[in-house]
Amino acid sequence: MNTRSEHAPIIQMKDIEKHFGAVIALAGVSIDIFPGECHCLLGDNGAGKSTFIKTMSGVHKPTKGEIIFDGKPMHFDDPRDAMDAGIATVHQHLAMIPLMSVSRNFFMGNEPVKKIAGINFFDREKADRITMEEMRKMGINLRGPDQAVGTLSGGERQTVAISRAVHFGAKVLILDEPTSALGVRQTSNVLATIDKVRKQGVAVVFITHNVRHALAVGDRFTVLNRGKTLGTAQRGQITPDELQDMMAGGQELAQLDDALGGTV
Amino acid sequence: MSQSAQPTPATDERIKDISRLRQSLIRPELGGICGTVLVFTFFLLTALDSGMFNSQGVLNWSTVSAQFMIIAVGACLLMIAGEFDLSVGSMIGFAGMMIAIFSVTLGWPVWMAILITFTLCTALGALNGFIVIRTGLPSFIVTLAFLFILRGFTIYFPQTLERKTIIGGISDAAQGDWLAPVFGGKILGWLFQWLGEAGLIATFERGTRAGQPVVDGIPMLIVWAIALVFFGHVLLTRTRFGNWIFASGGDAEAARNSGVPVNRVKILMFMFTAFCATVFATCQVMEFGSAGADRGLLKEFEAIIAVVIGGALLTGGYGSVIGAALGALIFGVVQQGLFFAGVESSLFRVFLGVILLGAVILNTYIRRMITGER
Amino acid sequence: MKTILKSLALGAAVFAAPVTATAQDLNYVLVSHAPDSDSWWNTIKNGIALAGEQMDVSVEYRNPPTGDLADMARIIEQAAAAGPDGIITTLSDYDVLSGPIRAAVDSGIDVIIMNSGTPEQAREVGALMYVGQPEYDAGYAAGLRAKDDGVGSFLCVNHYISSPSSTERCQGFADGLGVDLANQMIDSGQDPAEIKNKVQAYLSANPDTDAVLTLGPTSADPTLLALEDNGMAGEIYFGTFDLGENIVQGIKDGVIAWGIDQQPFLQAYLPVVVLANYHRYGVLPGNNINSGPGFVTADGLTLVEKYAGEYR
Repeated sequence: MNTRSEHAPIIQMKDIEKHFGAVIALAGVSIDIFPGECHCLLGDNGAGKSTFIKTMSGVHKPTKGEIIFDGKPMHFDDPRDAMDAGIATVHQHLAMIPLMSVSRNFFMGNEPVKKIAGINFFDREKADRITMEEMRKMGINLRGPDQAVGTLSGGERQTVAISRAVHFGAKVLILDEPTSALGVRQTSNVLATIDKVRKQGVAVVFITHNVRHALAVGDRFTVLNRGKTLGTAQRGQITPDELQDMMAGGQELAQLDDALGGTV
Repeated sequence: MSQSAQPTPATDERIKDISRLRQSLIRPELGGICGTVLVFTFFLLTALDSGMFNSQGVLNWSTVSAQFMIIAVGACLLMIAGEFDLSVGSMIGFAGMMIAIFSVTLGWPVWMAILITFTLCTALGALNGFIVIRTGLPSFIVTLAFLFILRGFTIYFPQTLERKTIIGGISDAAQGDWLAPVFGGKILGWLFQWLGEAGLIATFERGTRAGQPVVDGIPMLIVWAIALVFFGHVLLTRTRFGNWIFASGGDAEAARNSGVPVNRVKILMFMFTAFCATVFATCQVMEFGSAGADRGLLKEFEAIIAVVIGGALLTGGYGSVIGAALGALIFGVVQQGLFFAGVESSLFRVFLGVILLGAVILNTYIRRMITGER
Repeated sequence: MKTILKSLALGAAVFAAPVTATAQDLNYVLVSHAPDSDSWWNTIKNGIALAGEQMDVSVEYRNPPTGDLADMARIIEQAAAAGPDGIITTLSDYDVLSGPIRAAVDSGIDVIIMNSGTPEQAREVGALMYVGQPEYDAGYAAGLRAKDDGVGSFLCVNHYISSPSSTERCQGFADGLGVDLANQMIDSGQDPAEIKNKVQAYLSANPDTDAVLTLGPTSADPTLLALEDNGMAGEIYFGTFDLGENIVQGIKDGVIAWGIDQQPFLQAYLPVVVLANYHRYGVLPGNNINSGPGFVTADGLTLVEKYAGEYR
């Protein structure tokens, strides 16, 4: 699986700038993302992470800069274009409907059909079978495909959302703070899911401000601070403390760290 | 199937196994099923020899239940899609009046009057939906406005055109029409004829129809009800569109993010509700031969009550057409059954309120079991 | 589960009292077209109750809760299915109700038409007789009376516009006066405040109106208030159909010139008596019975006043 350096990047963001009126949210950010890698995007609140991923997923158009997808320059007019190209976003607030069953949620908007007497029917057998299979792959033990999403834990819902995106052909998967609201055990489930997805060759962009979560699965780490990148580091080239310092912009946190005896 | 290919993940020891029985119980129809059993038990005990369960009696409460079912199917799908239609009752009055005006006042053929009324009313349903979608106003308010608008026209048109509020003579106009029997006719007449001759059901004792069975067929109203329930159930549970209905009502934003055409789904459901109301009106007009300005009063609430007894959530995203049909059956059986049981009729509302409350409490409990919320 | 059981148990308890089915040998049902909210029908309820008591038969009163005539047709079908000895019903819309009534007659149940409908229609559906006040004729008679009193224009306050018989009363009155009904009839609705305001609005827009005609307590009571408010009470010629406590008071005070009493008590009481005697002894009056119109004026109000809203 360590062949990603020989691959061409699936998506390249070159000198992306985004201005909202007088506010410069992004001031020239460049990132390459390769298939099969988990690229962690770190940064404090307000560092420009969400603006950046919204630019990547077609919600915002960059003020300046270039997006190259699969070797070709791309202009996304709306999120639908990005989705069709294979860029899927799993939002913090999930696109899951608690009252509906896992299998109905999984295929929402992409239902399989079979023809009976010339009429298209929802192929529930197929949907149920695929859902159970995919869930088993991801390590979620469902009582049945008709179990409601509402009964799943937050981590499990994230996992369903991720595996849904992958099943429907996502090449780039953007995860917006998937672990921020989760407990320890659920977080590790989600991280395991990220690992599985990466091994299938999907490029994962993992947004977080938790350094430990990033280091647990990340291959490369890009830190954003005040709309700029502070560089991209390979796994093993950087320590947790260094990452933490970069995110916080250095000084203050280091001092606080000393005062608290290294517990941050 | 890919058994054994994947190792089954360890089960979470904190999730208690849910017994099969309990699992089969957690479904939207449960309230409706329990209610139906209880209601029939109640009336079998109190009104068995009152004529409620002879051929006329059964036809009587089936017909009333079928009426409720027709509008409940539309209201149910619309409610699952996350919207309300309070204009159903007025739409019934309006549709009936339009058929009467077209066929009697303007003298058009009845089939044409029916078809044009259907087109007009579903278009009004679409308008309802369009306004709700475009303005983002709650459908409660928009359709409340239509409740008044349509009722107003239903009184205004016949008064202006005919100087009265009930237009009759539709039976005469419908003589020999090919479409009218589809709404006002009866089927299986030969079966009832035979049953009557065999002495299994009551026959007329005197008059021009002496010797003929009192119940001489299944009204098309009941056929329409069964057909619409079947259609609604299949649409909801067996098609991708059904999945979209659930998704639109469950969380419109999430559904849009997943590529569900939420607006289209909702507008189509408004149209379907209007269609059901028009079926109701057409059957009524063809059976009774007249249209009145007060037809369908309060029917919108009766439809919503049937749907809620049937287990649908007022907030959308959850429910069942079969449940709504059972809710309609309960409603009809209770309404007519209280007469058979000789109960003071003003207590009907009390009984209805009690059933509604019981059903809603039960349904809330079921939903909590399904979603695991506490 | 438990909740619904509990609620049903509660429901059963509520019904236990009124269910007490009596064991009288004859069983009659009266079906009306009136919505629950129409207080005028209370007299009817009292009338059949009294007749039931006196004749020792069991009687029931039924009506469509919202006044929907299609629902009323179902109630007649239901009553027929339950197989009583006789059905007493109004015939407020021939198209809707004639089918179910004829079916009841043909299946061997004796029917008497009361209140709404005409004697001809009653004969056509096969009913034994008609007991009531022909609406158009009553309106016409009232119109003639008003014309003699010098009335030339009027306002008809129609609180039940969807019932053809209400409109016939107004039409008859107009014909009695010899004027065109045209826009002199308003759809007042059933809400007292609305009726009051509509009457005031009409009268201030048409100050030349000579008379007001109301069709029952539902429209008469608010109209009385409206006239008190705008100072026209006693000035304008005021006639009304039917009686009620306030109407009686209005007649006494000289605000209302007359009330047309169709004597609903008789419409409910007599059919029960007629049916019971017919079924017990085979005797039947040879004609229809006109329970009205009777004009109630300020003279001889004592009994009317005493029983207004109960038996009058």
